[in-house]
Amino acid sequence: MAGVVKVALPPRDTNLFQMAFGYTSTILTGMMKTFSIFWVQITGKEKTETREWPEQPATYSDRFKGKHFLTRRDDGQVRCTACFLCATACPAECIHIVAGQHPSNEIEKFPVRFEIDILRCVFCGFCEEACPVDAIRLGPEYAMSGLSGDKWIYTKDYLADRGELHGGISSVKVENEKHFTTDHHPHGDDLIATDAPHMRHH
Amino acid sequence: MAQDKPRIILRTEGLANPRALKTYIEHAEGYTAIKKVLGGAVTREQLIEEVKASGLRGRGGAGFPTGLKWTFVPQSDTGPKYLICNNDESEPGTFKDRHICTVNPHQVIEGMVLAAFAIKANKGYIYTRWEFQEEIGYLVEAIKEAYAAGFLGKNILGSGFDFDLDHYSGAGAYICGEETGLISSLEGKKGQPKVKPPFPAVSGYLGRPTIVNNTETLANVPWIVNHGAKEFRQYGTEKSPGSKLFSISGALVRPGVYEVPLGYPFERLVQEECGGYLPGRSLQALIPGGASAPLLTPEEVKGLTLDYEAMASRGTMLGSGAIMIIDDRQVLAELLKVTIEFFAHESCGQCTPCREGTGWLNNIMDGVLGGTAKPDSVERMRTVAKHMGGKTICALSDACAMPVTSYVQKFSGQLQAYLAQAAAAGSHVK
Amino acid sequence: MSEATQGSVETVTFTLNDREITVPKGTTVMAAARLKDVYIPHFCWHPGLKIAGVCRFCLVKVDNRPKLEIACNLTATPGMKVSSVLPEVKEAHKWALEFHLVNHPLDCPICDQAGECKLQDYYMEVGKYKSEMDRPKVLKPKALDIGSELVLDTERCILCDRCVRFEEEVTKTGALGIFNRGDRAVVGTYPDKKIEHNYQDNLVDICPVGAFTSRDFRFKQRVWFLKDKPAVCPGCSTGCHVDVYAKPQVRSYFRLKPRESAVNGFWMCDKGRNTYKHMNQEQRLRFPLVAEGSVARRKTTVDEALAALVGRLLAANKEDVALLVSAQYTCEEYKTLFDLFVVKLGVSKVYQWREPTEDLKAFDGLLYRGDHNPNTRGLSEALKAAGLPSEVNNGFDELVRQAPPLVIALGPEVAFQFPSLPAQLKQLEQLPFVSLWTIDGAAANYAGLKHLLPMKGFAEKRGHYLNFEAKVGELADPFPAGSDDARDVTEVVAALGDLFAHSL
Repeated sequence: MAGVVKVALPPRDTNLFQMAFGYTSTILTGMMKTFSIFWVQITGKEKTETREWPEQPATYSDRFKGKHFLTRRDDGQVRCTACFLCATACPAECIHIVAGQHPSNEIEKFPVRFEIDILRCVFCGFCEEACPVDAIRLGPEYAMSGLSGDKWIYTKDYLADRGELHGGISSVKVENEKHFTTDHHPHGDDLIATDAPHMRHH
Repeated sequence: MAQDKPRIILRTEGLANPRALKTYIEHAEGYTAIKKVLGGAVTREQLIEEVKASGLRGRGGAGFPTGLKWTFVPQSDTGPKYLICNNDESEPGTFKDRHICTVNPHQVIEGMVLAAFAIKANKGYIYTRWEFQEEIGYLVEAIKEAYAAGFLGKNILGSGFDFDLDHYSGAGAYICGEETGLISSLEGKKGQPKVKPPFPAVSGYLGRPTIVNNTETLANVPWIVNHGAKEFRQYGTEKSPGSKLFSISGALVRPGVYEVPLGYPFERLVQEECGGYLPGRSLQALIPGGASAPLLTPEEVKGLTLDYEAMASRGTMLGSGAIMIIDDRQVLAELLKVTIEFFAHESCGQCTPCREGTGWLNNIMDGVLGGTAKPDSVERMRTVAKHMGGKTICALSDACAMPVTSYVQKFSGQLQAYLAQAAAAGSHVK
Repeated sequence: MSEATQGSVETVTFTLNDREITVPKGTTVMAAARLKDVYIPHFCWHPGLKIAGVCRFCLVKVDNRPKLEIACNLTATPGMKVSSVLPEVKEAHKWALEFHLVNHPLDCPICDQAGECKLQDYYMEVGKYKSEMDRPKVLKPKALDIGSELVLDTERCILCDRCVRFEEEVTKTGALGIFNRGDRAVVGTYPDKKIEHNYQDNLVDICPVGAFTSRDFRFKQRVWFLKDKPAVCPGCSTGCHVDVYAKPQVRSYFRLKPRESAVNGFWMCDKGRNTYKHMNQEQRLRFPLVAEGSVARRKTTVDEALAALVGRLLAANKEDVALLVSAQYTCEEYKTLFDLFVVKLGVSKVYQWREPTEDLKAFDGLLYRGDHNPNTRGLSEALKAAGLPSEVNNGFDELVRQAPPLVIALGPEVAFQFPSLPAQLKQLEQLPFVSLWTIDGAAANYAGLKHLLPMKGFAEKRGHYLNFEAKVGELADPFPAGSDDARDVTEVVAALGDLFAHSL
């Protein structure tokens, strides 16, 4: 039960000469382009794009969305509050979080586990946009080769412990938001304003 | 022809030993009204009718007709009923009830017996604010004297009418001056107003019918019984009959409490009773009825008479008769801050608009005075105050919103100066 | 409303949003709106609690009255015209929300209530404004330990007073109060008091925001990943109507919440809320375990396990077969079970499996009863229908004494309500052959039990329970079973019936 393959045929009223001319001219146009580039490169008028990677590293745009990393507070804690918004936004459902109670009440909720199944990830960057505390970013790393299966699930430690990343982006972010757990005088000077937008919705 | 300045309440003022029962009986027709009523010369219905006819209005601030209030107690209800004298005088600038307690406490007690007879209550309380420790002593002493003389207790003057009177004091919260807040406090709960309906006249103290009247209101009743509604109406205006105590404070030669008929010209009170402004001072603004009343400018004060209607026509209120003279040396922005801070501190925290609104306004004022407020802060205060008004269980929210609105409307220049200063220094940018 | 009740109750007719509605006399506008599915936004009003009137959110406009009034304390009077949709009312709602949010920390990302928070809902419904608040917020204590099941965050609290009223009116424990005044007001327990009753999680349910969070559910899952279905709590003979929250794609159950009904009102107890745990992977028996002849006990398929059981049954006399039935299965399951074994196969030894320490008469005055089985009445009815003695009694010891050669035992589903279960399973190990049908994974630890069949949980099957007063609780909308091999009794009996039909 073979399927019928439809091929776009030239109109019936086109004669053989017109057909020959049409095909040949397009082939020649393409060949001309190929040869002109070949000529420019062989004569050294323009540099070839082929490079000897990885000996010669390639640089991408700063906005390149590569391998994820988790940012840290200036005290070294992972910034992630385990709000699950990245996991909610993720179209590939590749982010798995287990939240827990942090020993410090100032942090309260934190990710006990934070895993990205990188083989499922589509590098859309939605997680980065969904994050309310700038805890996850897509970094400049693009080379993600590996051998065995278990390497493809990035753990929290791996995501957060790449310090100075290749490409020069630090994963430490300066902290300027805090929670207090003690009762302050409401109108004291020691309070820090939250400049957060009024309401965040998933 | 009635006297120009009647003595209805402060009848023993200026006499030697004014608080004593003896003085009251000898010089102020003391306890003759209850003899008249309990002796059977006046029936319960006639008493209520007389008070209604007198046009006596509540002197605590709202000005609700007293006789009408008494009729709200369900007559069919045969269970216990309560009468409470609201002596929790906490409106900033008010000190008239305190003066009554100091000068003529027995008239309040006699008024209470009459009111209790009218509403068939056999138990009464005088609720005084905690800070009036001295006055509490006077009242307790007066109650003791009245018991000893048989004007309180079982079978008063052989009439078969029982009335027990106790004194009680809260912990000094402003909101306990609101009648349901007072009742909550009297019940031993956190002093906060109760949602209405049901009104206290139907379900008040301990869920029973309760009438709460102001000290000054009650002190008027014996005089009305003795002299009749007609004579009472000779004083004051058509809609605000009788006399009223005004507690007047500020840069005056003789500030204090004065009893004058309602409708008395403000300027005359200042010049005659109070001896005029202190040398070199002039009026910058007038608070006519306690901290919660909207401010008046000197222009608005021109031709002002002291009665409920004249105040209402100028968009403010007579309130409890606490007149505060704000002279030209005062910084109005600081006055506003103090006023708001007072209400933010005294808000019971029950209703959201009041709890958050008073705090928010206070917060903004902190910013205005501290130079950290955003340039549109004055406008914001107006909006916040607008949405705080008329939405809560009691009137504290309005009490805070009204002065803010009037201030922002009439005196915003001073606030704008602060904001301009902050903007110039750049300190409002966080 | 039926005509009979209309005749006996005095009614009032008033207009709400241009719609004439008739309600019993004395009904508030808020309650009337709820009856007629008109939604007036509110925080502090709760149908199961007294009126507080403090959130000032449910403002409505009544014709010819100057001020807006709160619908929760506004009694409907004949001819009254009420609107909750006028522009001025909507503006008031918006500002009511703004006031609630002025000092709210907006820590939605770490708040368990996010997704079912009234503040969020109303923001989308009546808010959607840019906040005017540009000043520092009031900070209050967070993550307080105030009860064994509860965590309190006073910063998120909007002081609606619901929890305080619940403590006063429902449990009558009065441990909570609102302290301090103004915007410093905080909710909390009285000094040296903790919330120590069996109804703590109701505070989490009635809290419209994330001030009270459940210690059990805390941080486990975001609610928008969960799916809820109605069921009946199997924890005791009250049979509270509940909603079961689960994440079916990972076969996990997360919590139970009460569903409003005539049986349980708005509440349920904390014990009952634990009755989802046995359906989770780590606790449940996920596959059949069968020891056959000289072969040691091993994991098998359901078909093999049933074939082995049928083989035994065919070989046995009907006098040698006994049923041991706990009262934790549905009426339908009992009926099919007894139809096959008692009516068709003529088995007459049917024993009730009950917890020996239970106190049938115990009742805490609210919901929780001493009979920790959801279907004691249903079992009795089924026994009666099968012509067997139907009074409630514990036949476990009698069965052990008789030691019949072949026992089919329907084990209790909620094992934690059976403290003697480990001892009882040990006793069953001693019997010649017991086929234990259970969801309880701990049963696998008893190596002497030669035939274990995994059962479905209450949220995974259809059927009915009869509660203590014979009110029907329906399991109508099951989740897929947490294990592929799990069956309910009806399915097992049907399969056994088929096998018999083929064998005979």
